[in-house]
Amino acid sequence: MKTALSEGTILRVASALIVVGLVIEIISLAWIHPLAFALFAFVGVLLIGLGILIYLASLVFVASPPSENGR
Amino acid sequence: MPTEFRTQMELTGILIVLIVAAIVLAAAFFVRPSITAGATGKVLAFVGLCILPALCIRMGLDTHMERSEKAKFCISCHSMENYGKSLWVDDPSYIPAQHFQNHRVPADTACYSCHADYTIYGPLHDKLRGLTRIYVQYLGTPPQTIQIPGGYKNQQCLRCHLGARGFMENPIHMALMDSLKSNEMSCISSGCHDMIHNPTEVGHLKMWSPGQ
Repeated sequence: MKTALSEGTILRVASALIVVGLVIEIISLAWIHPLAFALFAFVGVLLIGLGILIYLASLVFVASPPSENGR
Repeated sequence: MPTEFRTQMELTGILIVLIVAAIVLAAAFFVRPSITAGATGKVLAFVGLCILPALCIRMGLDTHMERSEKAKFCISCHSMENYGKSLWVDDPSYIPAQHFQNHRVPADTACYSCHADYTIYGPLHDKLRGLTRIYVQYLGTPPQTIQIPGGYKNQQCLRCHLGARGFMENPIHMALMDSLKSNEMSCISSGCHDMIHNPTEVGHLKMWSPGQ
């Protein structure tokens, strides 16, 4: 049960990082400026990449949570 | 509307749709991580938390790299403003203005056309150098006159002019060809084509406007 809960938390962290990174990417696309490039390259890519890595790590190291009907 | 511009707009549109789809999927896993318990949920999670975000990074990089080739991008920094203005100087002896106004280089990528490093790792090298300039612009003190590290290379001119009839039929060019190719003699600082951006004087010069 403990590992299942922690996988849920890990998924939440990965999702949150990806969502924030993608929102930053959309913001960076709104204007053509060197700072937009820097924002995307240093913040957006970092957050999205970290989210993907955390998700992939969760597939390898953590057991799946039980489904809602308990199976 | 030019086809190239339309294609860029379409690609940006596709990228935004992908980003929104990835946000919706990732948000669903944030709200209900238990979705991943079933086989379908696992596949969806892989798509939403790995494939789509990775695709968004890749397409985002392409889009930003393409945007960074635009003259609008280059002259958006305050210290580059006068260099951008120099493209509109109403004087044919100004080499950048002459190239820009006569469309000898694509007008929307005028800076990139003459300043890009066209070697295999050139774009990456240019980007890294560009990042140091962002640092100087926002966290340092930009110099009054911007110098290109290592000087302007003749290869940037010869890339287009070498083999062109007007260039090859000029006896001076032919006589100096070896020195030009080896960069021993500069095209722009050897008394031949030395009127370039001249940013400190731009404010006092007459400007050309397309409608005049």
